[in-house]
Amino acid sequence: AKRMHGQKRPYRTSELSRLMYNLSLSPAEVLRKWSGEEDEEEELDGVDDKGEDNFFKSKAEDSEDTEDRYMPKFDYSALEEKWENEDNIRLLKSRFIGGHMVGKSGD
Amino acid sequence: MTDQTQPLLRFTGHRHLAIRLVLSTLTGRPIRISNIRSNSPTHQGLQPHEVSFIRLLDSITNGSKIEFGMSGSTLVYRPGLITGSAEGLGASNGVLNHEISKECRTRGITYFLIPLCLLAPFSKSPFNILFTGPGCITSATSSGDPSIDTLRTAILPLYKNFGVDRNLEIRILRRSCAPSRGKLAGGEVHFVFPHQIRLPRTLHLLNAGWVKRIRGVAYAIGVSGSNNARAIDAARGVLNKFVPDTYIFSDVSSAPLLPSPSDSNDPSGKTKGAVGFGLSLVAESSTGCFYSSDVASPPDGGTTPEDVGKQGAYQLLETISQGGCVEKCAATTVLVLMGMGSEDVGRLALGRDVVGSEEVVQLGRDLRAFGGAGWGFRDGRDEGEVVVSVVGRGVGNVGRKAA
Repeated sequence: AKRMHGQKRPYRTSELSRLMYNLSLSPAEVLRKWSGEEDEEEELDGVDDKGEDNFFKSKAEDSEDTEDRYMPKFDYSALEEKWENEDNIRLLKSRFIGGHMVGKSGD
Repeated sequence: MTDQTQPLLRFTGHRHLAIRLVLSTLTGRPIRISNIRSNSPTHQGLQPHEVSFIRLLDSITNGSKIEFGMSGSTLVYRPGLITGSAEGLGASNGVLNHEISKECRTRGITYFLIPLCLLAPFSKSPFNILFTGPGCITSATSSGDPSIDTLRTAILPLYKNFGVDRNLEIRILRRSCAPSRGKLAGGEVHFVFPHQIRLPRTLHLLNAGWVKRIRGVAYAIGVSGSNNARAIDAARGVLNKFVPDTYIFSDVSSAPLLPSPSDSNDPSGKTKGAVGFGLSLVAESSTGCFYSSDVASPPDGGTTPEDVGKQGAYQLLETISQGGCVEKCAATTVLVLMGMGSEDVGRLALGRDVVGSEEVVQLGRDLRAFGGAGWGFRDGRDEGEVVVSVVGRGVGNVGRKAA
């Protein structure tokens, strides 16, 4: 139960304003923290090999393409899978006009 | 206009370069950017498209001072007044010519135009710029630039929310695709932005509404128009079950012709520019929010129009599902305009993944570095939505103090 309690809820809005102006973190780190990925990593890795971890990370970031993009890269095969799924389609239909009744009648 | 006594704001790295230059120009704060790709062994320093953008900034402002470091990895920029296409400052007959050289063909025209649109409302005189040259790509590119159609139909209408809507125009005179190795692009775009304002209106955009229609443009350049029909058909196949009001225009044009001085036999000869096809889709909601997607055939070919159509449709669905009132590729535009507004709190609902993108996080930090107030966040009406509150700086248009 303690573990469960210690686990932070990801995507907390109040958390974001704290993280965003913490200038010791890079934007990528902020996002990892906010989405809760970092916590799990830390728990698994322990704190000792953190320095080593950072070393490899920075190298990996340099090598990959880090140009500014307006549109993010998409993995189209994953997208296709996602949007062929009936459940996802039904969920998204509530965002369309005429479709907003769909979710309500289901509830 | 530059105030030499103002301390330089220091930034590092090559990321977010264009937006930092724009913020510097808007706020009048000089900046110094160091370590621009200083670790890169192959492409050290500023890249051609960045230099081209700086040249463009120089020609639309008066009194800007730009200093490069020896290796091009340091840049000092002292902004001047935004004058637009004023006569006597590089413009002829009210039109400023900007030729994009062939070295810049990795980036699309929107790389230049999206930041430029941010400057245009704050200019002293209208913007009227003709983009030409072998590096002018109007289609979407693999480096993440949306196509000019998306800019025209999904980002430009957003300026209406800020009270900027009179006669904005992007005329696509000649289309071009992203070129493969050795090929050239050669598009032509006429950008007219005659509506200058004192201060943008404070924006409150909290209700994303429902998507009511989907519009799009399929373009085929130098290839058969049946590619368009096939792409449109595939896209409609996916989208029709969501909204019946879907209409996708088809635009077929021939490959642009470029002079080829390299051919020694025929000095007046022309070469054909890049060919290809692509699809730009825009969904509009009942409250005037836009979501867009852009897919183009890769420069080396190997994709069928059916794939392009499907990918475009799936990408559009993904963008819509991220929610919020503004999509990712327009978020910078809207947030900067809000930050430049009158000293009042504007509110904007954004999807979680839109706020949680590196660009937006860095923009929040940069805006504060340039003297703006920090953003406030609270939970939105829908789950996964975050309401961002932005306090304007009240700087507005220096050139139109009297207006």
